[in-house]
Amino acid sequence: MLHQVLPKPVAAPIQPAISARAVLKTFAGKHEVKALEAVDLEIRPHEFVSILGPSGCGKSTLLRIVAGLTPYEGGEVLVNQQPVKGPSPDIGVVFQSSNMLPWLTVGQNIALGAKLRKIPEAQAAPKLAELIAMLGLKGFENNHPHQLSGGMRQRAAIGQILALDPQILLMDEPFGALDALTRDKLNVELLRIWQEQRQTVLLVTHSISEAVFLSDRVLVMSGRPGKVVREVTIDLPRPRRPETIKQHPRYAEYMAELSQLMGVY
Amino acid sequence: MNAMLRRWLETLAFWGLLALLWEFGVGWLGIRRYLLPPLSDVLLAGWNARGALLENTWVTLMEVLVGFAAAVLGGVLLGVLIHLSSFARRTLYPLITALQSMPKIALAPLMIVWFGYGFGSKVAATFLFAFFPIVIATLGGMQNVAINLDEHFRALGASRLDTFWRLQVPAALPAFVDGIKIAMPLAVIGAIVGEFIGAEQGLGHLMTMATANAQTDLMFAAILTITALAVLLYAAVERLAKAVWWRGISF
Repeated sequence: MLHQVLPKPVAAPIQPAISARAVLKTFAGKHEVKALEAVDLEIRPHEFVSILGPSGCGKSTLLRIVAGLTPYEGGEVLVNQQPVKGPSPDIGVVFQSSNMLPWLTVGQNIALGAKLRKIPEAQAAPKLAELIAMLGLKGFENNHPHQLSGGMRQRAAIGQILALDPQILLMDEPFGALDALTRDKLNVELLRIWQEQRQTVLLVTHSISEAVFLSDRVLVMSGRPGKVVREVTIDLPRPRRPETIKQHPRYAEYMAELSQLMGVY
Repeated sequence: MNAMLRRWLETLAFWGLLALLWEFGVGWLGIRRYLLPPLSDVLLAGWNARGALLENTWVTLMEVLVGFAAAVLGGVLLGVLIHLSSFARRTLYPLITALQSMPKIALAPLMIVWFGYGFGSKVAATFLFAFFPIVIATLGGMQNVAINLDEHFRALGASRLDTFWRLQVPAALPAFVDGIKIAMPLAVIGAIVGEFIGAEQGLGHLMTMATANAQTDLMFAAILTITALAVLLYAAVERLAKAVWWRGISF
Protein backbone atom coordinates (compact mmCIF):
# COMPACT_ATOMS: atom_id res chain seq x y z
CA MET A 1 0.00 0.00 0.00
CA LEU A 2 2.82 2.36 0.82
CA HIS A 3 4.42 1.66 -2.54
CA GLN A 4 1.50 2.83 -4.51
CA VAL A 5 2.79 5.12 -7.25
CA LEU A 6 1.22 8.40 -8.18
CA PRO A 7 -0.43 8.37 -11.60
CA LYS A 8 2.04 10.12 -13.86
CA PRO A 9 0.83 13.08 -15.91
CA VAL A 10 0.39 11.15 -19.13
CA ALA A 11 -2.06 11.36 -21.99
CA ALA A 12 -4.62 9.11 -20.29
CA PRO A 13 -7.78 11.23 -19.97
CA ILE A 14 -8.21 11.50 -16.22
CA GLN A 15 -11.04 13.84 -15.30
CA PRO A 16 -9.65 16.59 -13.08
CA ALA A 17 -10.82 16.77 -9.47
CA ILE A 18 -10.57 20.54 -9.54
CA SER A 19 -10.44 22.69 -12.60
CA ALA A 20 -10.58 26.43 -12.94
CA ARG A 21 -10.53 28.42 -16.14
CA ALA A 22 -10.03 32.14 -16.55
CA VAL A 23 -11.22 32.84 -13.04
CA LEU A 24 -11.76 36.50 -12.28
CA LYS A 25 -12.29 38.09 -8.91
CA THR A 26 -12.53 41.74 -8.02
CA PHE A 27 -13.08 43.18 -4.58
CA ALA A 28 -15.38 46.15 -5.00
CA GLY A 29 -14.97 49.24 -2.90
CA LYS A 30 -13.62 52.75 -3.05
CA HIS A 31 -10.54 51.40 -4.75
CA GLU A 32 -11.38 48.34 -6.77
CA VAL A 33 -8.88 45.55 -6.21
CA LYS A 34 -8.34 42.94 -8.87
CA ALA A 35 -7.68 39.91 -6.69
CA LEU A 36 -7.48 37.31 -9.46
CA GLU A 37 -7.07 37.72 -13.19
CA ALA A 38 -7.57 34.85 -15.59
CA VAL A 39 -6.38 32.13 -13.24
CA ASP A 40 -6.22 28.62 -14.66
CA LEU A 41 -5.88 25.57 -12.49
CA GLU A 42 -6.18 21.84 -12.97
CA ILE A 43 -5.71 19.26 -10.27
CA ARG A 44 -6.00 15.54 -10.88
CA PRO A 45 -7.54 13.18 -8.35
CA HIS A 46 -5.07 12.14 -5.62
CA GLU A 47 -2.66 14.86 -6.58
CA PHE A 48 -0.98 17.07 -3.97
CA VAL A 49 -0.68 20.59 -5.33
CA SER A 50 0.59 23.65 -3.51
CA ILE A 51 0.00 27.25 -4.36
CA LEU A 52 2.98 29.30 -3.35
CA GLY A 53 2.91 33.05 -3.33
CA PRO A 54 3.59 36.18 -1.31
CA SER A 55 1.00 37.58 1.10
CA GLY A 56 -1.86 39.29 -0.66
CA CYS A 57 -1.34 37.56 -4.02
CA GLY A 58 -4.85 36.15 -4.00
CA LYS A 59 -3.94 32.54 -3.23
CA SER A 60 -6.33 32.32 -0.29
CA THR A 61 -9.05 33.92 -2.42
CA LEU A 62 -8.53 31.24 -5.04
CA LEU A 63 -8.84 28.53 -2.40
CA ARG A 64 -12.02 30.10 -1.03
CA ILE A 65 -13.50 30.18 -4.52
CA VAL A 66 -12.78 26.47 -4.99
CA ALA A 67 -14.26 25.84 -1.52
CA GLY A 68 -17.45 27.61 -2.56
CA LEU A 69 -17.02 30.23 0.15
CA THR A 70 -16.46 33.23 -2.12
CA PRO A 71 -18.29 34.07 -5.34
CA TYR A 72 -16.27 34.77 -8.47
CA GLU A 73 -17.11 36.94 -11.43
CA GLY A 74 -15.67 35.41 -14.55
CA GLY A 75 -14.56 32.04 -15.81
CA GLU A 76 -15.52 28.66 -14.54
CA VAL A 77 -14.63 26.56 -11.50
CA LEU A 78 -15.46 22.86 -11.47
CA VAL A 79 -15.11 20.37 -8.65
CA ASN A 80 -15.62 16.78 -9.81
CA GLN A 81 -16.92 18.24 -13.09
CA GLN A 82 -19.67 20.15 -11.28
CA PRO A 83 -19.71 23.94 -11.24
CA VAL A 84 -19.01 25.28 -7.76
CA LYS A 85 -22.11 26.93 -6.32
CA GLY A 86 -21.37 26.67 -2.63
CA PRO A 87 -19.62 24.51 -0.06
CA SER A 88 -19.53 20.90 -1.24
CA PRO A 89 -19.69 17.75 0.91
CA ASP A 90 -16.80 16.34 -1.16
CA ILE A 91 -14.51 19.04 0.19
CA GLY A 92 -12.92 19.57 3.58
CA VAL A 93 -11.25 22.88 4.37
CA VAL A 94 -8.48 23.36 6.95
CA PHE A 95 -7.85 27.00 7.79
CA GLN A 96 -4.93 28.82 9.36
CA SER A 97 -6.90 29.31 12.56
CA SER A 98 -7.82 26.00 14.10
CA ASN A 99 -11.43 27.20 14.50
CA MET A 100 -11.87 25.18 17.65
CA LEU A 101 -14.97 26.26 19.57
CA PRO A 102 -13.65 27.23 23.02
CA TRP A 103 -16.79 26.03 24.81
CA LEU A 104 -16.50 22.47 23.50
CA THR A 105 -13.94 19.87 24.52
CA VAL A 106 -11.31 18.73 22.05
CA GLY A 107 -13.23 15.50 21.47
CA GLN A 108 -16.48 17.37 20.86
CA ASN A 109 -14.69 19.74 18.51
CA ILE A 110 -13.25 16.90 16.45
CA ALA A 111 -16.72 15.35 16.22
CA LEU A 112 -18.41 18.66 15.38
CA GLY A 113 -17.69 18.64 11.64
CA ALA A 114 -19.30 15.24 11.14
CA LYS A 115 -22.26 16.37 13.24
CA LEU A 116 -22.78 19.51 11.16
CA ARG A 117 -22.51 17.50 7.95
CA LYS A 118 -25.14 15.09 9.34
CA ILE A 119 -22.85 12.09 9.04
CA PRO A 120 -24.55 9.33 11.09
CA GLU A 121 -22.93 8.86 14.49
CA ALA A 122 -22.47 5.10 13.96
CA GLN A 123 -20.44 5.86 10.86
CA ALA A 124 -18.40 8.69 12.36
CA ALA A 125 -17.62 7.31 15.84
CA PRO A 126 -15.06 4.59 14.96
CA LYS A 127 -13.30 6.97 12.60
CA LEU A 128 -13.07 9.61 15.33
CA ALA A 129 -11.38 7.27 17.81
CA GLU A 130 -8.92 6.23 15.13
CA LEU A 131 -8.11 9.83 14.20
CA ILE A 132 -7.62 10.90 17.81
CA ALA A 133 -5.07 8.11 18.26
CA MET A 134 -3.39 8.80 14.92
CA LEU A 135 -2.99 12.51 15.64
CA GLY A 136 -1.55 11.92 19.10
CA LEU A 137 -4.53 13.49 20.86
CA LYS A 138 -5.41 10.48 22.99
CA GLY A 139 -5.99 11.55 26.60
CA PHE A 140 -6.80 15.13 25.59
CA GLU A 141 -10.35 14.50 24.39
CA ASN A 142 -11.89 15.94 27.53
CA ASN A 143 -9.66 19.00 27.68
CA HIS A 144 -10.76 22.29 26.28
CA PRO A 145 -8.86 23.73 23.31
CA HIS A 146 -7.28 26.58 25.30
CA GLN A 147 -5.51 23.98 27.44
CA LEU A 148 -3.67 22.67 24.38
CA SER A 149 -0.68 24.02 22.47
CA GLY A 150 -1.22 25.67 19.11
CA GLY A 151 0.23 22.65 17.36
CA MET A 152 -2.15 20.27 19.09
CA ARG A 153 -5.10 22.51 18.31
CA GLN A 154 -4.13 22.41 14.65
CA ARG A 155 -3.88 18.60 14.81
CA ALA A 156 -7.40 18.58 16.23
CA ALA A 157 -8.54 20.87 13.42
CA ILE A 158 -7.09 18.48 10.85
CA GLY A 159 -8.75 15.58 12.67
CA GLN A 160 -12.11 17.35 12.53
CA ILE A 161 -11.80 17.63 8.75
CA LEU A 162 -10.38 14.14 8.14
CA ALA A 163 -13.36 12.76 10.07
CA LEU A 164 -15.50 14.00 7.18
CA ASP A 165 -13.59 11.66 4.88
CA PRO A 166 -13.34 14.31 2.18
CA GLN A 167 -12.19 13.40 -1.32
CA ILE A 168 -10.66 16.82 -1.63
CA LEU A 169 -8.70 18.60 1.07
CA LEU A 170 -8.22 22.35 0.80
CA MET A 171 -5.69 23.79 3.21
CA ASP A 172 -5.22 27.52 3.66
CA GLU A 173 -1.83 28.07 5.31
CA PRO A 174 -2.74 25.42 7.88
CA PHE A 175 0.56 25.72 9.74
CA GLY A 176 1.10 29.44 9.16
CA ALA A 177 0.51 30.39 12.78
CA LEU A 178 2.82 27.75 14.27
CA ASP A 179 6.47 27.92 15.26
CA ALA A 180 8.99 26.44 12.82
CA LEU A 181 9.62 23.25 14.77
CA THR A 182 5.94 22.42 15.23
CA ARG A 183 5.39 23.24 11.60
CA ASP A 184 8.08 20.77 10.48
CA LYS A 185 6.57 18.08 12.69
CA LEU A 186 3.10 18.63 11.32
CA ASN A 187 4.44 18.60 7.76
CA VAL A 188 5.87 15.15 8.43
CA GLU A 189 2.54 14.04 9.83
CA LEU A 190 0.58 15.46 6.94
CA LEU A 191 2.92 13.66 4.52
CA ARG A 192 2.38 10.39 6.37
CA ILE A 193 -1.41 10.81 6.43
CA TRP A 194 -1.62 11.79 2.79
CA GLN A 195 0.60 8.92 1.67
CA GLU A 196 -1.87 6.57 3.36
CA GLN A 197 -5.13 8.22 2.38
CA ARG A 198 -4.29 9.99 -0.89
CA GLN A 199 -6.91 12.73 -0.87
CA THR A 200 -6.69 15.33 -3.58
CA VAL A 201 -4.96 18.22 -1.82
CA LEU A 202 -4.72 21.88 -2.65
CA LEU A 203 -2.42 23.55 -0.13
CA VAL A 204 -1.94 27.29 0.04
CA THR A 205 1.35 28.23 1.64
CA HIS A 206 4.12 30.78 1.69
CA SER A 207 6.70 28.27 2.84
CA ILE A 208 8.91 27.06 0.00
CA SER A 209 10.22 24.04 1.93
CA GLU A 210 6.72 22.99 2.91
CA ALA A 211 5.61 23.14 -0.72
CA VAL A 212 8.59 21.13 -2.01
CA PHE A 213 8.47 18.61 0.82
CA LEU A 214 4.81 17.73 0.31
CA SER A 215 3.73 18.48 -3.24
CA ASP A 216 3.60 16.81 -6.62
CA ARG A 217 3.31 20.20 -8.23
CA VAL A 218 3.83 23.76 -7.05
CA LEU A 219 1.98 26.64 -8.64
CA VAL A 220 3.71 29.96 -8.14
CA MET A 221 1.43 32.98 -7.94
CA SER A 222 2.23 36.65 -8.20
CA GLY A 223 -0.01 39.36 -6.86
CA ARG A 224 -1.99 42.43 -7.94
CA PRO A 225 -3.68 41.06 -9.94
CA GLY A 226 -3.16 37.51 -8.76
CA LYS A 227 -2.24 34.97 -11.38
CA VAL A 228 -0.34 31.73 -11.68
CA VAL A 229 3.01 32.64 -13.20
CA ARG A 230 4.85 29.34 -13.03
CA GLU A 231 4.27 25.69 -12.48
CA VAL A 232 7.02 23.49 -11.05
CA THR A 233 6.59 19.72 -11.01
CA ILE A 234 8.31 18.28 -7.96
CA ASP A 235 9.73 15.05 -9.27
CA LEU A 236 10.84 13.51 -6.00
CA PRO A 237 10.23 9.82 -5.35
CA ARG A 238 7.11 8.67 -3.55
CA PRO A 239 6.63 7.58 -0.91
CA ARG A 240 8.83 10.27 0.51
CA ARG A 241 10.69 9.51 3.68
CA PRO A 242 10.90 12.58 5.91
CA GLU A 243 14.38 11.52 7.15
CA THR A 244 15.94 11.35 3.70
CA ILE A 245 13.93 13.40 1.23
CA LYS A 246 15.66 16.66 2.07
CA GLN A 247 19.01 15.09 1.15
CA HIS A 248 17.78 14.27 -2.32
CA PRO A 249 19.84 16.28 -4.83
CA ARG A 250 16.73 17.51 -6.63
CA TYR A 251 15.23 18.76 -3.35
CA ALA A 252 17.93 21.45 -3.19
CA GLU A 253 17.41 22.28 -6.85
CA TYR A 254 13.67 22.82 -6.37
CA MET A 255 14.32 24.90 -3.27
CA ALA A 256 16.73 27.10 -5.24
CA GLU A 257 14.45 27.40 -8.24
CA LEU A 258 11.41 28.36 -6.18
CA SER A 259 13.41 30.71 -3.99
CA GLN A 260 14.49 32.55 -7.09
CA LEU A 261 10.96 32.65 -8.48
CA MET A 262 9.72 34.03 -5.18
CA GLY A 263 12.43 36.68 -5.22
CA VAL A 264 14.15 35.47 -2.06
CA TYR A 265 17.48 35.82 -3.83
CA MET B 1 -3.78 29.90 54.28
CA ASN B 2 -2.05 32.63 56.23
CA ALA B 3 -2.23 35.00 53.25
CA MET B 4 -5.94 34.30 52.88
CA LEU B 5 -6.58 35.01 56.55
CA ARG B 6 -4.64 38.24 56.23
CA ARG B 7 -6.62 39.38 53.21
CA TRP B 8 -9.81 38.57 55.07
CA LEU B 9 -8.71 40.63 58.04
CA GLU B 10 -7.74 43.53 55.79
CA THR B 11 -11.17 43.57 54.22
CA LEU B 12 -12.81 43.33 57.63
CA ALA B 13 -10.62 46.16 58.95
CA PHE B 14 -11.56 48.38 56.01
CA TRP B 15 -15.29 47.98 56.57
CA GLY B 16 -14.89 48.24 60.33
CA LEU B 17 -13.00 51.49 59.95
CA LEU B 18 -15.66 52.85 57.64
CA ALA B 19 -18.37 51.95 60.19
CA LEU B 20 -16.42 53.60 62.99
CA LEU B 21 -15.86 56.70 60.89
CA TRP B 22 -19.59 56.97 60.32
CA GLU B 23 -20.44 56.28 63.95
CA PHE B 24 -18.09 58.86 65.47
CA GLY B 25 -17.45 61.19 62.53
CA VAL B 26 -21.03 62.42 62.75
CA GLY B 27 -20.45 63.58 66.32
CA TRP B 28 -17.01 65.09 65.64
CA LEU B 29 -18.24 67.08 62.69
CA GLY B 30 -21.37 68.13 64.54
CA ILE B 31 -23.74 66.87 61.87
CA ARG B 32 -27.33 67.01 63.04
CA ARG B 33 -29.07 63.71 63.66
CA TYR B 34 -31.95 64.37 61.29
CA LEU B 35 -29.43 64.91 58.48
CA LEU B 36 -27.18 61.94 59.16
CA PRO B 37 -27.73 59.85 62.28
CA PRO B 38 -24.83 57.78 63.62
CA LEU B 39 -24.64 54.18 62.44
CA SER B 40 -25.82 52.79 65.78
CA ASP B 41 -29.04 54.82 65.54
CA VAL B 42 -29.63 53.52 62.05
CA LEU B 43 -29.05 49.91 63.10
CA LEU B 44 -31.29 50.33 66.13
CA ALA B 45 -34.07 51.87 64.02
CA GLY B 46 -33.71 49.03 61.57
CA TRP B 47 -33.87 46.46 64.36
CA ASN B 48 -36.96 48.06 65.89
CA ALA B 49 -38.68 48.15 62.50
CA ARG B 50 -37.38 44.72 61.46
CA GLY B 51 -40.85 43.34 60.83
CA ALA B 52 -41.77 46.16 58.45
CA LEU B 53 -38.36 46.10 56.78
CA LEU B 54 -38.53 42.36 56.13
CA GLU B 55 -42.08 42.52 54.84
CA ASN B 56 -41.35 45.38 52.47
CA THR B 57 -38.08 43.81 51.32
CA TRP B 58 -40.06 40.74 50.33
CA VAL B 59 -42.48 42.89 48.30
CA THR B 60 -39.65 44.72 46.53
CA LEU B 61 -37.75 41.49 45.93
CA MET B 62 -40.77 39.94 44.21
CA GLU B 63 -41.23 43.01 42.00
CA VAL B 64 -37.56 42.94 41.05
CA LEU B 65 -37.49 39.21 40.32
CA VAL B 66 -40.65 39.16 38.23
CA GLY B 67 -39.73 42.34 36.33
CA PHE B 68 -36.17 41.16 35.77
CA ALA B 69 -37.25 37.72 34.55
CA ALA B 70 -39.69 39.36 32.14
CA ALA B 71 -36.94 41.72 30.95
CA VAL B 72 -34.51 38.83 30.34
CA LEU B 73 -37.13 36.82 28.48
CA GLY B 74 -38.40 39.76 26.42
CA GLY B 75 -34.93 41.20 25.86
CA VAL B 76 -33.51 37.91 24.60
CA LEU B 77 -36.49 37.30 22.32
CA LEU B 78 -36.34 40.79 20.85
CA GLY B 79 -32.53 40.73 20.51
CA VAL B 80 -32.67 37.41 18.68
CA LEU B 81 -35.55 38.58 16.49
CA ILE B 82 -33.67 41.71 15.46
CA HIS B 83 -30.62 39.56 14.75
CA LEU B 84 -32.50 37.05 12.63
CA SER B 85 -34.89 39.27 10.72
CA SER B 86 -33.70 42.10 8.54
CA PHE B 87 -37.26 43.48 8.66
CA ALA B 88 -37.07 43.71 12.44
CA ARG B 89 -33.63 45.26 12.12
CA ARG B 90 -35.01 47.99 9.91
CA THR B 91 -38.16 48.64 11.95
CA LEU B 92 -37.96 47.47 15.56
CA TYR B 93 -34.29 48.26 16.09
CA PRO B 94 -34.56 52.03 15.46
CA LEU B 95 -37.71 52.08 17.59
CA ILE B 96 -35.89 50.32 20.44
CA THR B 97 -32.96 52.71 20.09
CA ALA B 98 -35.31 55.68 20.29
CA LEU B 99 -37.11 54.27 23.31
CA GLN B 100 -33.82 53.51 25.01
CA SER B 101 -32.76 57.13 24.71
CA MET B 102 -35.90 58.15 26.57
CA PRO B 103 -35.39 58.74 30.31
CA LYS B 104 -37.14 55.72 31.78
CA ILE B 105 -37.88 57.61 34.96
CA ALA B 106 -40.21 59.87 32.95
CA LEU B 107 -42.29 56.83 32.07
CA ALA B 108 -42.66 55.60 35.65
CA PRO B 109 -45.71 57.82 36.44
CA LEU B 110 -47.32 56.49 33.28
CA MET B 111 -46.86 52.96 34.59
CA ILE B 112 -48.89 53.95 37.68
CA VAL B 113 -51.62 55.35 35.44
CA TRP B 114 -51.67 52.25 33.29
CA PHE B 115 -51.17 49.50 35.84
CA GLY B 116 -52.36 51.00 39.13
CA TYR B 117 -50.73 51.41 42.52
CA GLY B 118 -50.01 47.76 43.10
CA PHE B 119 -47.60 45.07 41.98
CA GLY B 120 -48.18 45.47 38.22
CA SER B 121 -46.86 48.99 37.84
CA LYS B 122 -43.68 48.13 39.79
CA VAL B 123 -43.03 45.11 37.63
CA ALA B 124 -43.57 47.29 34.57
CA ALA B 125 -41.12 49.92 35.84
CA THR B 126 -38.56 47.23 36.66
CA PHE B 127 -39.00 45.76 33.20
CA LEU B 128 -38.51 49.17 31.56
CA PHE B 129 -35.24 49.79 33.37
CA ALA B 130 -33.76 46.33 32.80
CA PHE B 131 -35.06 45.52 29.32
CA PHE B 132 -32.92 47.63 26.99
CA PRO B 133 -29.43 46.60 28.12
CA ILE B 134 -30.48 42.97 27.63
CA VAL B 135 -31.76 43.59 24.09
CA ILE B 136 -28.57 45.41 23.14
CA ALA B 137 -26.29 42.85 24.80
CA THR B 138 -28.08 39.91 23.18
CA LEU B 139 -28.01 41.51 19.76
CA GLY B 140 -24.38 42.57 20.09
CA GLY B 141 -23.40 39.09 21.23
CA MET B 142 -25.18 37.36 18.35
CA GLN B 143 -23.44 39.61 15.86
CA ASN B 144 -20.06 39.20 17.51
CA VAL B 145 -19.30 35.75 16.10
CA ALA B 146 -15.69 35.61 14.91
CA ILE B 147 -15.60 35.83 11.13
CA ASN B 148 -13.32 32.80 10.82
CA LEU B 149 -15.75 30.63 12.79
CA ASP B 150 -18.63 31.81 10.65
CA GLU B 151 -16.69 30.85 7.53
CA HIS B 152 -15.71 27.52 9.05
CA PHE B 153 -19.36 26.69 9.71
CA ARG B 154 -20.23 27.63 6.15
CA ALA B 155 -17.45 25.40 4.81
CA LEU B 156 -18.85 22.56 6.89
CA GLY B 157 -22.27 23.10 5.35
CA ALA B 158 -23.87 23.82 8.72
CA SER B 159 -27.62 24.42 8.67
CA ARG B 160 -29.01 27.73 9.88
CA LEU B 161 -30.38 26.00 12.96
CA ASP B 162 -27.02 24.40 13.80
CA THR B 163 -25.20 27.68 13.20
CA PHE B 164 -27.63 29.40 15.55
CA TRP B 165 -27.52 26.91 18.42
CA ARG B 166 -23.99 25.61 18.15
CA LEU B 167 -22.19 28.82 17.19
CA GLN B 168 -24.14 32.04 17.60
CA VAL B 169 -25.79 31.30 20.94
CA PRO B 170 -22.65 30.17 22.79
CA ALA B 171 -20.65 32.97 21.16
CA ALA B 172 -23.28 35.49 22.35
CA LEU B 173 -23.29 34.30 25.97
CA PRO B 174 -20.35 36.39 27.26
CA ALA B 175 -21.96 39.60 25.98
CA PHE B 176 -25.35 38.44 27.24
CA VAL B 177 -24.11 37.84 30.80
CA ASP B 178 -22.50 41.29 30.73
CA GLY B 179 -25.93 42.60 29.77
CA ILE B 180 -27.69 40.93 32.68
CA LYS B 181 -24.99 42.18 35.05
CA ILE B 182 -25.83 45.72 33.95
CA ALA B 183 -29.57 45.05 34.02
CA MET B 184 -29.74 43.57 37.55
CA PRO B 185 -28.99 46.79 39.51
CA LEU B 186 -31.15 48.72 37.03
CA ALA B 187 -34.04 46.39 37.84
CA VAL B 188 -33.72 47.27 41.53
CA ILE B 189 -33.68 50.97 40.64
CA GLY B 190 -36.80 50.43 38.51
CA ALA B 191 -38.71 48.85 41.38
CA ILE B 192 -37.72 51.58 43.86
CA VAL B 193 -38.58 54.36 41.39
CA GLY B 194 -41.95 52.74 40.83
CA GLU B 195 -42.54 52.59 44.58
CA PHE B 196 -41.48 56.22 45.03
CA ILE B 197 -44.06 57.44 42.59
CA GLY B 198 -46.98 55.61 44.05
CA ALA B 199 -47.18 52.51 46.20
CA GLU B 200 -48.66 51.06 49.34
CA GLN B 201 -45.83 48.62 49.99
CA GLY B 202 -42.15 48.03 49.33
CA LEU B 203 -38.87 49.50 50.49
CA GLY B 204 -39.28 52.58 48.29
CA HIS B 205 -42.64 53.22 49.91
CA LEU B 206 -41.11 52.71 53.37
CA MET B 207 -38.44 55.28 52.50
CA THR B 208 -40.96 57.92 51.42
CA MET B 209 -42.96 57.29 54.58
CA ALA B 210 -39.85 57.57 56.77
CA THR B 211 -38.92 60.83 55.07
CA ALA B 212 -42.40 62.26 55.53
CA ASN B 213 -42.23 61.41 59.26
CA ALA B 214 -38.69 62.81 59.62
CA GLN B 215 -37.42 59.35 60.63
CA THR B 216 -34.02 59.77 59.02
CA ASP B 217 -32.63 56.79 60.92
CA LEU B 218 -35.31 54.49 59.50
CA MET B 219 -34.75 56.03 56.07
CA PHE B 220 -31.08 55.06 56.29
CA ALA B 221 -31.99 51.60 57.53
CA ALA B 222 -34.14 51.17 54.44
CA ILE B 223 -31.32 52.45 52.21
CA LEU B 224 -28.92 49.93 53.75
CA THR B 225 -31.47 47.18 53.27
CA ILE B 226 -32.10 47.97 49.61
CA THR B 227 -28.34 48.23 49.04
CA ALA B 228 -27.82 44.83 50.63
CA LEU B 229 -30.60 43.40 48.48
CA ALA B 230 -29.10 44.86 45.29
CA VAL B 231 -25.62 43.60 46.17
CA LEU B 232 -26.91 40.09 46.89
CA LEU B 233 -28.87 39.99 43.63
CA TYR B 234 -25.84 41.20 41.71
CA ALA B 235 -23.63 38.60 43.38
CA ALA B 236 -26.13 35.91 42.40
CA VAL B 237 -26.07 37.05 38.77
CA GLU B 238 -22.29 37.25 38.79
CA ARG B 239 -22.11 33.73 40.17
CA LEU B 240 -24.34 32.54 37.36
CA ALA B 241 -22.26 34.45 34.81
CA LYS B 242 -19.15 32.55 35.87
CA ALA B 243 -20.53 29.54 34.01
CA VAL B 244 -19.71 31.44 30.80
CA TRP B 245 -15.94 31.29 31.02
CA TRP B 246 -14.96 31.39 27.35
CA ARG B 247 -14.88 35.17 27.08
CA GLY B 248 -12.23 36.47 24.69
CA ILE B 249 -10.83 33.07 23.74
CA SER B 250 -10.42 32.42 20.03
CA PHE B 251 -8.10 30.29 17.99
